[in-house]
Amino acid sequence: MAAVNINQLHLDDLPWIIEYDESKCIQCGKCTAACSFGAIKPEVEKRRKPSQGLTKPSFDRIITIKQQVSFQHHCRGCGMCSRVCPNGAIKAVRNPNDRYSVRYRAAKAESLKKGGRSNLNTEGRTLDKIKIGRISQMTDPSLDAARHQFELRTPFGRILSADKLDLHSSNGKMELSKQLPPNRWIYPILMGDMSIGAVSWRMWEAMAIATAYLNEVVGLPVRMCTGEGGMPVRLLKSRYVKYMIVQIASGHFGWNRIIQALPDMVEDPAGLLIKIGQGAKPGDGGLLMASKVVRYVQEIRGVPRADLLSPPTHQGLYSIEESVQKMFLSMNAAFNFRVPVAIKVAASVTSVSVYNNLLRDPYNIVGGFFLDGLAGGTGAAHEISLDHTGHPITSKLRDCYLAAVHQGRQGEIPLFAGGGLGQTGSFAADAFKLICLGANGVFTGRLLLEIAGCVGNDTGKCNACNTGLCPAGIATQDICLTKRLDIDTAAQNIVNYFIATDMELKKLMGPVGNSTLPIGRSDALITVDKHISNRLDIQYVC
Amino acid sequence: MPKETFKIKTLTDNNRMSTQELLQFITEKINEGYINFDIDACGQHNIGGSSWAKDRESKLFFTLRNPGQRVGAMALKGTKIVVEGSAPADVGWLNSGATIVVKGDCGDTAAHCAAGGKIYAAGRVGTRSGALMKHDPKFDSPEFWVLKNTGSFGFEFMGGGIAVVCGWDCDSLPSVLGSRSCVGMVGGIIYVRGPIQDVADCVEIKSLDGQDIEFLENGMAKFLQEIDKSELLAELTNWQEWKKIIPVSQDEKSKRMPVSEFRKNHWIKGGIFGDFIHDDFVVYKLPASGEGRVHIPVWNKENCVNCKICLNNCPENAISEEEKIYTSDSEKCIGCGICEAVCPKQCWSMTSNRKEIS
Repeated sequence: MAAVNINQLHLDDLPWIIEYDESKCIQCGKCTAACSFGAIKPEVEKRRKPSQGLTKPSFDRIITIKQQVSFQHHCRGCGMCSRVCPNGAIKAVRNPNDRYSVRYRAAKAESLKKGGRSNLNTEGRTLDKIKIGRISQMTDPSLDAARHQFELRTPFGRILSADKLDLHSSNGKMELSKQLPPNRWIYPILMGDMSIGAVSWRMWEAMAIATAYLNEVVGLPVRMCTGEGGMPVRLLKSRYVKYMIVQIASGHFGWNRIIQALPDMVEDPAGLLIKIGQGAKPGDGGLLMASKVVRYVQEIRGVPRADLLSPPTHQGLYSIEESVQKMFLSMNAAFNFRVPVAIKVAASVTSVSVYNNLLRDPYNIVGGFFLDGLAGGTGAAHEISLDHTGHPITSKLRDCYLAAVHQGRQGEIPLFAGGGLGQTGSFAADAFKLICLGANGVFTGRLLLEIAGCVGNDTGKCNACNTGLCPAGIATQDICLTKRLDIDTAAQNIVNYFIATDMELKKLMGPVGNSTLPIGRSDALITVDKHISNRLDIQYVC
Repeated sequence: MPKETFKIKTLTDNNRMSTQELLQFITEKINEGYINFDIDACGQHNIGGSSWAKDRESKLFFTLRNPGQRVGAMALKGTKIVVEGSAPADVGWLNSGATIVVKGDCGDTAAHCAAGGKIYAAGRVGTRSGALMKHDPKFDSPEFWVLKNTGSFGFEFMGGGIAVVCGWDCDSLPSVLGSRSCVGMVGGIIYVRGPIQDVADCVEIKSLDGQDIEFLENGMAKFLQEIDKSELLAELTNWQEWKKIIPVSQDEKSKRMPVSEFRKNHWIKGGIFGDFIHDDFVVYKLPASGEGRVHIPVWNKENCVNCKICLNNCPENAISEEEKIYTSDSEKCIGCGICEAVCPKQCWSMTSNRKEIS
């Protein structure tokens, strides 16, 4: 056995430790075969048999499973080994003495990167401390979730107040003098915002199929955001593009192909989304590690194999006003002012200023404001951004809504909120509460991955999306890993989740007594937390 | 036992009997032995309900004019109520066996929760009529006959019993069941003649079978006789014009096209990435052999001493030897690395099988 140098990375430094019960192991090799990180390997171990008198001691050789100790091949705790083990002989357990992040920086002179989500969770979740406390009983009848016809759609696009409608009378009929800004009535939960590249082609297509299915078979007008990695031309030229909200971010990746396809498109997209920032790593641009920049991603994005960094800002935009004038105008012009254009920013202490500024919107071209809170997910980020930057979504959404209310302009630029929704299991409840606090709708990405089969969680399990070694075939571009994902099951699970969530939203709308989305109905919410009550202006109860 | 009809006027000299006064008065008279009542009501509720003859044998008979809501509420078998004219909401609420005849229209929620007896309406009935009707098999099925049409939201959560909507004098109506009827219906049958639209998707609309026609033929003459419209018998017994509505079974309800079928038959052929990637949509189960392996073993002859340790330790029996050449069958091998681990001469090495879309 080699002597140990105390400066070297040791098993005890790693975040996850493999617990292996040799007495249950049948040396079938399934665990080592399944581990996409190469974190465990079979090894032959020598075991000394003591001398029985005159003979010399001898050695038994047995096959055992050894955890690898290296920065590249350390265990991420994904648990694939225990899933495939027929005897329950192996599992990854969290190491309470983990010193990995210190060791990594010390050894590599690099910032630590991670995928998935923030694992610090120091704030707790405001939404879990809010309940829906205004139940219609004798005052007004509760609506029956099963039989009542609810109108859950929400506007995506600029809404003009009545006094801004340019009307004139012609032959005794009221007519509009000018075209109204484009608007789509959509389901209040948007999915996606994850790029081709960040997720595997199967995962991305599963979301697109689920979106089409939800629209055409189930009747829920769900829209999917593309993320910033462009779009496959086959989808652009199909009629299904009408369910897609096409994103442009600071990297402008993939827009070449989108523009080339314009003359051949048979339908307009549902909308366009200008991504300024994202909640999981605010103030930092997109990051796609080179391991995932495979051939087709290179082609769609027009880049070579390299770590792809989107700049933290759009280089052509220097102020809010300019964003409105230049970016919104250009994106509106792309589809000749037929397609609503919204903007997505990371929630920040400055969000209200931005929203106030957008609300002036002299050209009526700002079709939505997406606020992304800090608990969102990401394909790859510097851990420092993921864990230490950002702003919770709830109070910021509320601030923006109340700022609009203060001006009597709520609803004119629809608000969408996201970032870690569904984290504690009930996505419909999170969505409903945010809607009551003023959101027109919500969006989710990371949750879709979990629905599809992601094995990670918010307490450090897996979160290796940045490595390209996703054991579930979701955040990888590798063929042997991607093909672990069953595209049909992934799409089916997303569809099922939306159907369940739709029912659950109605189960909340019924008691509150709203037939339509209770946007801004904060009187429906209560909290036992005085600070939350004060900050969000909802009723304190005890 | 007095045979004569007991007459009650509930409004005299501007003094109106309250519901409580009327109902208690009726009970008093029933306990004196009266069984026939003729009542000029003035909107009092629940007339004819929850009553029975003193001898438990005789039939109670009520003739009513101008009743209030819930005529015949909770009425029992052996009671017959005839309303001369129309009746407001909740006719036959929780009817448990009475025959209730309304010679005019009924208000909303007629036959609500009726679980027995017969309700005959000679006109139209309001919204939510027939809601939550049910049938306990130990008793006769409730029947609810309507000459004309029902309002919207009828038969919600209906769990049993039979409703018959004849659609007479409804020529101008787009639907003789209003809109959005039958939501949550899980049992029972609705027979209907005339146009219907917008019924809930938890029910199915079917043609009549022999048993249906037999029931309707038996019941229709009696119904029309009760409401003094026997002359309509021929017009209403053209069974070609009738349909029946029954709930779809619990299994049928959750049936939707599987998403896999949608992808294969409706989605963009070859997938949206088809111009980059030929995806066979095969799913690798773990641990996978062949192309699904994360690592593959490569054999190097140089140091091999032909000890067969690898061959004997391979958990998948994937390794074979022929003339001192060792090969691993990729269809059996899962890439576990045991061959590499056990070889005393390091002849096997595991290499990455990671492949990218080219």
